[in-house]
Amino acid sequence: MGLEEKVPEGILTTSLDSVINWGRANSTWPLLFGLACCAMEMIATGTARHDIARYGSELFRASPRQADLMIVSGRVSNKMAPVIKRIYDQMLAPKWVIAMGICASAGGPFNNYAIIQGVDKIIPVDVYVPGCPPRPESLLYAMDMLRAKQKRESVGAGRKVDEPVTVDEIMPLGV
Amino acid sequence: MPLDVSPIFRSYESQRTLNPPGIPGLAPLPSGETDDTRRICEQFGEDIVAAGLHHGNQVVQVDAGRLKALATFLRDDPELRYETLIDVTSLDKSQLPQNGDSRFQTVYQFRSYARNQHLTVVADCEAGDGDNGAMPHIDSLTGVFRGAEWPEREVYDLMGIRFDGHPDLRRILMPKNWHNHPLQKQAPLGGEEVPFTFTWDDPEFDTLGTQILPSVSVAPDLPPGMSRQNMVINMGPHHPSTHGVLRLVVELDGERIVSIDPDLGFLHSGFEKTGENKRYKDFVYYTDRMDYLSSMSNNLGYCLTIEHMLGLEIPERAQVIRVIMAEMQRIASHLFWLATHVLDVSGTGMSLLMYATRERERILDLFEMVCGARLTVSYIRIGGVWQDLPDAFISELKDFLKLMPGKISEYEAMLTEAPLWQERLTDVGHIRGADALAMGLTGPMLRGSGVDWDLRRDRPYCGYEAYEFEVPTSDRGDCYGRFSIRLEEMRQSVRILEQAVANLPSGLFKSNDRKVTAPPRAELDVSMEALIHHFKLMTEGFHVPPGFFYNGIESSKGELGFYVYSDGSAKPYRLHVHGPSFNNLYAIDHISRGEMLSDVVTNIGSIDIVLGEVDR
Ligand code: SF4
Repeated sequence: MGLEEKVPEGILTTSLDSVINWGRANSTWPLLFGLACCAMEMIATGTARHDIARYGSELFRASPRQADLMIVSGRVSNKMAPVIKRIYDQMLAPKWVIAMGICASAGGPFNNYAIIQGVDKIIPVDVYVPGCPPRPESLLYAMDMLRAKQKRESVGAGRKVDEPVTVDEIMPLGV
Repeated sequence: MPLDVSPIFRSYESQRTLNPPGIPGLAPLPSGETDDTRRICEQFGEDIVAAGLHHGNQVVQVDAGRLKALATFLRDDPELRYETLIDVTSLDKSQLPQNGDSRFQTVYQFRSYARNQHLTVVADCEAGDGDNGAMPHIDSLTGVFRGAEWPEREVYDLMGIRFDGHPDLRRILMPKNWHNHPLQKQAPLGGEEVPFTFTWDDPEFDTLGTQILPSVSVAPDLPPGMSRQNMVINMGPHHPSTHGVLRLVVELDGERIVSIDPDLGFLHSGFEKTGENKRYKDFVYYTDRMDYLSSMSNNLGYCLTIEHMLGLEIPERAQVIRVIMAEMQRIASHLFWLATHVLDVSGTGMSLLMYATRERERILDLFEMVCGARLTVSYIRIGGVWQDLPDAFISELKDFLKLMPGKISEYEAMLTEAPLWQERLTDVGHIRGADALAMGLTGPMLRGSGVDWDLRRDRPYCGYEAYEFEVPTSDRGDCYGRFSIRLEEMRQSVRILEQAVANLPSGLFKSNDRKVTAPPRAELDVSMEALIHHFKLMTEGFHVPPGFFYNGIESSKGELGFYVYSDGSAKPYRLHVHGPSFNNLYAIDHISRGEMLSDVVTNIGSIDIVLGEVDR
């Protein structure tokens, strides 16, 4: 029915939203930015065994201007907090944040004078990954969740961030 | 509006109600004498408050006014020849009994490599109220040992002791306008209540992510000694090649480096203060997170210190397992160093990153086999190790050991002779042996400058004296020398591992002392006594007799030391960590001067820093 029958073969129709989201979800470039122990697992995720390239995210960009995703991989100290906020501000929208590990999520074992109890005190977080450190597989699962979230967004109405992602929404890689 | 980080005071953090009345207790005075303490006493007479042996370490307590003279004497006297100052730390005695007129104490660790001697020097600071008004103060040793500069700044920052004559006494770890000195005893541990919630209706979510800091642009101060006539650039704390959140302020003349001022503390996590609020056994889990590339060595260093203070015997098998773990960790750490070093130097050299992490993953798999974790292992515990080795471990390890030497040769084939690699490393980051000693550098930084010293061989622990291995050194003093040393160290570690695997004895994997290690689970069902022991251990922990002890081990990056002062309770009264990366990083300014900006990256890689340990 409709338009598809009229157009010649080899041409697809789709909505602007889904094609943009498809692009975003499959080439989310993370910021090359490691904080603490969790960064080691982030690097491990980037190497051959876990191969984050399957997500189109192997390109860790050193400049916040070129990055879409900030993976806060470690504990955030009081001295570092303004820097993180600044880097986040320098990233171009749309941008996403993964709080990797319990430190970035809620302070973890360091409930003391030096560490901020969760990076969500200073920047909005899209996905929290539990673990100390989370295994590379957990980080990849967080990428899956992020993709599900990205796929719901719309260029028109801004980001839809009000509902948590459900398990059903998380598609295995390649779908 | 600045972020509100005002700490909450939680009274239970400092309650010591469980303790018997003898606690807190003072460390006993050192007793006996050795050749060195006798010589010092002869020279300084009345000014030596106490001297002798304490926990097997030579200890001298000196009058504050004569500290500098003593340090000079230790360095210059032909019979003593203490060439290096390993560590400076401090103690706030306000919660100890008989705390006389002086509240603060500084503690120095001297080392003579030539004579294989270690000496702890203690000095009471001259009075001054720590909270406000005049600060306590003491002479700075920077004029005698250059390497005292950073440790003294750290003491000033965290403990609030002023060092007279220090060339550059600024805060080093905390932000520059921080309101207190966190390690002082009256300063609370701090922190905040963390509300956890499971529902999206919770009002907590309305404010999450909205307490936004204003990210105003502030022109940072020019570090002292730098001139705006030259170009001053900022590197980090967010930079791909600083190995974490290190900030360097680099003064450049053209592309030549005039000076470098590292700005640390972006990952300061309050390890020491946290440790002073945890029971002894609970700090093991924190040590993993300091130098997260050599967790096993960190566990080991801490456990050895506490075990020595307890006088605990470790079973043979546990010792060998510990050696196996420590050496595997050394290989893993060096592999990661190699991977990142190559990546930094060549910019896009991804292949070695992939190869080296491939081998590292095998080690992590083995770690996972023994303890379930890849990175933060906490496998070595006080009294032994957590669990016995699983059955398949040894055969897997043997497979790995067969493969590893070939892989090291492969890396060598890729790098050692490669002209580009040689060009970038040869004569870069040069440091002479004498400078390395004066700066208190350790590990490959020291051996790379021709000082033949390895704690495993020269002050053996864990039964290292039973293994045959060589300590590679190099007289080159440059990045290339350190590169070849680390490659050779991996080979030697393989050698040690082969011997350990061949001679793994059977027996207990942890001490049988029920006061320190928990009884096996099965015993709890049948023995009331075991249940009580378990309960006591899990609630109160164990008490360590009053005293203090410094112990260093050879971790992959250098000498990793722990200084613990016990007041007899179940928590350390003072816990200080001497991180090798911290002292080694001090050399960055010295070795980079006159070189090109691109060499800074090579130098950082060659020093092999881990920011978790630098900042602690
Ligand atoms: S969550 Fe654990 S592993 Fe990650 S940064 Fe915090 S302490 Fe380190």
